[in-house]
Parts: sequence; structure tokens; C-alpha cells
Amino acid sequence: MAQRTRAILGGLALLAVLIVAPATAQAATVFGSGSSAMQPYFDALAAGYKKVDSHTSFVYNPDGGNAGAKDVQNGKSAFAFQTRPPLPSDSGLSYSKLFLDGLCVAVNPANVLNNLAIGQVADVFLGNVTEWQQVGSNLRSPISAFGRNSTAGLYTFFQSAVLNGATQATNVAQLDTDGEVAVAVSRNQAGIGYVGLANSGPGSGVKRLKLAGQPCQASAIKTLKYPLSRYGWVVLPATKPNQTATRFADWIRTSYAAGQIISKAGAVPAFNAKTPPKKVVKKKPKKKAKKK
Amino acid sequence: MPDQRAELMLGALVCAVLLFVLALVVFVFREAWPSFSHNGLHWFGVGGNPDQQIQAIFTSTDLQRRPVYTFHAWPIVWGTLLCTVGAVCLSFFAALFVAVFVVEFAPEWIRRILEPVVRLLASVPSVIFGLLGVLVLVPFIGHHVITDGNRRSVAYLVSLSGYSLLAGVLILSLMIAPLMIAVFSDGLRSVPRGWLEGSLGLGINRWRTFWKIGVRTARPALVAGTVLATARALGETVMLAMVTGGVAFAPNPSDGLIFFVEPTRPLAATILQTAEELSSPPMRHTIFAMAAVLLFSAAMLSLVGWAAKQPMKKYGVRA
Repeated sequence: MAQRTRAILGGLALLAVLIVAPATAQAATVFGSGSSAMQPYFDALAAGYKKVDSHTSFVYNPDGGNAGAKDVQNGKSAFAFQTRPPLPSDSGLSYSKLFLDGLCVAVNPANVLNNLAIGQVADVFLGNVTEWQQVGSNLRSPISAFGRNSTAGLYTFFQSAVLNGATQATNVAQLDTDGEVAVAVSRNQAGIGYVGLANSGPGSGVKRLKLAGQPCQASAIKTLKYPLSRYGWVVLPATKPNQTATRFADWIRTSYAAGQIISKAGAVPAFNAKTPPKKVVKKKPKKKAKKK
Repeated sequence: MPDQRAELMLGALVCAVLLFVLALVVFVFREAWPSFSHNGLHWFGVGGNPDQQIQAIFTSTDLQRRPVYTFHAWPIVWGTLLCTVGAVCLSFFAALFVAVFVVEFAPEWIRRILEPVVRLLASVPSVIFGLLGVLVLVPFIGHHVITDGNRRSVAYLVSLSGYSLLAGVLILSLMIAPLMIAVFSDGLRSVPRGWLEGSLGLGINRWRTFWKIGVRTARPALVAGTVLATARALGETVMLAMVTGGVAFAPNPSDGLIFFVEPTRPLAATILQTAEELSSPPMRHTIFAMAAVLLFSAAMLSLVGWAAKQPMKKYGVRA
């Protein structure tokens, strides 16, 4: 009896393996890495892409845009998301624009300051200005600045767009991810930090500043009026890129569905179709009349 | 025959473990050598801002420029020493008193509650302590401990925002104390009961008996627990990366009380924050150099612990 039970269980296990194996064999996992500021967009887009290709799953390591680009160069990742344009050091890589995003400068809601000039932001993060009074705030305390470290593409973009290539001052606390900067600013009345659009929205606990009178919002980013508007980029190898990653990137860039996801996530679609694809209605063939 | 086979298998496993440790040490020091050979003893010295040096090292392989290896790690080494020694000193006395209370003075019902709670505390992942630090302790230090005057006095150098040496030391001591309590308690329990009863029989009070005889006899266990906790503190990464400020700055004792609330970044946290830069060869060698320093420190710690226990063997209580 025990032998028969064992034989039945073994047969069932074999059957399960035979059913599951072909199904899982078609599933592919594609590895990507890059900007942590782009991760909220990636999560939403990867979930949306499941409806297009249910056999593909993505794994994303938010190790920073610069590190992600190096991962693609070294073959560790099939693709990377980046928040700065290509540099001469990005040899062997192809960069494609995906959508528009903004780098916001955020302060604590207790700070009544609403607007800063780019030069003033640079002075804060270069350590030239250390008191809130010097930039016209109601706060009578020193500034607590929060930023990112050198692996972040967001820092590279901020360094080139705001600091003119200079290194941020030692009095800027360097945090690992975009989200941590938002948390630090939200819990510190004297805090200021540069945060991606996705991590500075309503509910994040921070207040976005206008820069040169332009708000860090989709309306100003779409027209590139906001000074720190930037493109989100996908980075692929220049030769023999992964086909699945290429299809995913094309879907993000051009499809209507991806455009909807990008808008919902807080960024601005730049190249996506504005109308959904027309449904093709199949006409029923006409029945031939019988001859009498 | 089965006994022989078991012996051979166990012997093979032991050899495999030893070979693995040897391979690990050789690999780490081989990868670290280029950084040490370029910098010499200046690697441990002062000179410039380590964060700027790290960025220079990382970007030096771009545009096919000559690789840069210049690195002066003193602020990071000093931060590591401060966090480790501070946490061990703070938790040693707390753990010792808790262990004495649990073993000798606590009623049975308190002991039954305390021991599982201490074991639970020891098993909490460090990232949870990090989250508590970021969401609770760091804002508390920023709002209630640091004044605007403190901030202004060092505003051009560092930002006093609550991310600090103090936050790191407090949470680290909370993390290593349960380990010390467990080892100290085991050591105190293994003191021969007859010795304590003899002292009590001579009319010496309970506290003095336990302190002079029990704790003194259990010194090897105190050393063992302290060594284990120090090794744990040296290797703590995630929590310290989250709460100490992420800046390679050497807190200055001559700054007075501000010294405790200045930011820093220990070696293990620096390795975590720069780990994504492993793809750059000079940066990889620099990261492995930091790892080699940690590995060497852990080895020396074990040696010092062993040496400290040798004179205590005469008490007969082993840890």
C-alpha cells in the first residue's frame, strides 16, 4: 500500500514538472539597473508591460544612473535608466529619450519660500549661503542641505545644470536614494534637497520650489520652461542589444498605454501616441443568395 | 567503518572551511594591494576630502585617462573608531548590569520575560533599526539636541541635521547590547555556586559577593562578549549608512559637545555607498582596501581577546 502511494505521488510530481516546465521555460527575466529617481516610473511601466508580454519579467537594481550605465557597458545589465544625457565616457552605449521628467528643489512645508533663482540654489549647495534669511525665507536658522552621492545620475545632472561642474559642498548630507532625500527634508524644517518629480509629489511631505518663476510641474516641464526639465533615458548596448529590452523601451517611448502610465506616475510623455490604437472590426462575410 | 567515514568527512569539512577563509583573505588583500601600493601609509593619513577623492578615482577611468588612486582615509577610519568604541563602551556597562540583574537578582517571573525579549532584540534586522533611526531618533536629535547656534558654528564645514555620530552610537549600542547580555549571563551562570555561598556564609552581602567574586570570576566571558560585540559593531553597515550622515568627515573632539552631533561615515557604510562603483578598476581596488582594513581589524580583535583571556585562565571559568 505504501509503495502504491509512493508511486502515485511520484507520478503526480512528474506530471506537475511536465506541466510547469514548458510554461516557465517561455518566461524570460531581463535585468536592468540605473537611476533610483526613475524607479517609481519603472515599477509602473513594468506592471503595464505585463499586459503586452506576460512571459517577460524585469528585475531592476536602482544603483544610480552612472552605475547603471557602467553595468550596461560591462554586460551586467541588459538596459539602464538614466537621468542625464550621454557623456563621452559612455562609449559602446546607445541612449534614447523616453519621456520628460523634472528635477525639483524641495523644502519643508514650514518654509514659506516659494521661488529661488538657479544661482541661489547653486550658492546653497556650494556652501556659499548657509542661512535661510540670506535667500528670503521666514526661517531664522542655518540651512540643512541634503543631496546624493557621485553614483547618482541625478547628482551628475544637478552638478552640470546647477553647479556648473563644481562638486557640492561638504555641508551637504549625501544620502543613498531619492526617497531618503525627500524623507530627510520632510522631517527637517530647515531642510532643502534636490528630488526627482516622482518622489516630491503630494503626500511626500515636501514642498516643491519654483525655479526662476517656473513651477516643477508637468505643465512647465512639457514646454521645457522649467529650468531643470530633463529627459529620462534608456541606455542599451550600441551593438546587439537585448531584443526584449529594446521592445520594452520602444513600447515606453511610443505606445498610448505607456503614455497614460507615465502621466499617472507624474512625468510627461514626450513621444507617445496621443490616441489609443483603433480597434480592427472584422466584417462577417456576406452569405451568397441561393439560385432558384 | 561508519565512525571512520564520519571522522574523514568532518575533517574534510574543517579543511574546506580553513581553505575558504584563506582564499578569502588572499583574494581581498590581492585586490586591495594596488591602492595600498600607490598610497603607502598615507592611505591612513589626512589630506583632502575623501568624497572628492572617491569621485576622482571613479571618474578617472572615463575618457581613458590615467587611473587615479590617491586616497587618504583618516576621516573614515576615525569615524569607524568613534562609532565602534563609543557603542561598545556605552553598551558594556548597561549589558553587565542587566546580566547581573538577570542572573542573580531578578525574580523568576521577570527572568522568564527578560530572556526571550533580549533574544528577540538580538535577532531584529539592522535595517529596522536604521528605519527607526531615520524616522525617530535623527529628527529628535535635529530638533531637540542641536541648536541653531551649534549649526551656525560649523555651517561652512558640515550640516548638523541630526544625522550624526550620536545617532549611530546610540542605535549601535542598542544592537550589540543583547549579544553582550547573552554571553555575560552565560558566564555569570557558570560561576561555581559554592564560591558564592561560601562568601555569603562569611556574612558578606549579596551585592558585594556577586560583584567581587561572581563578576571577577566571569571575566573571561566578559572579554569574549566584548570582543564579539566589537566585531559586530565594526561590521555594521546598513544602519550606520542610514543615520550617520553619509559624509566622510572626522568629528573633532575640540569642538566640544558639537563633536557628538557631527556627521561621519564609517568604513563599512563607505563600502556600501561606493559598492556600485566596483566596475571602475581603481575604485574596486580602493573598496577592497577598505575591506582589507576591516578584515585585519577583526583578526586583530580576535587575537587581542585571546591574549586578554590567558591571564584569567587561573580562575577556571572559561568563556
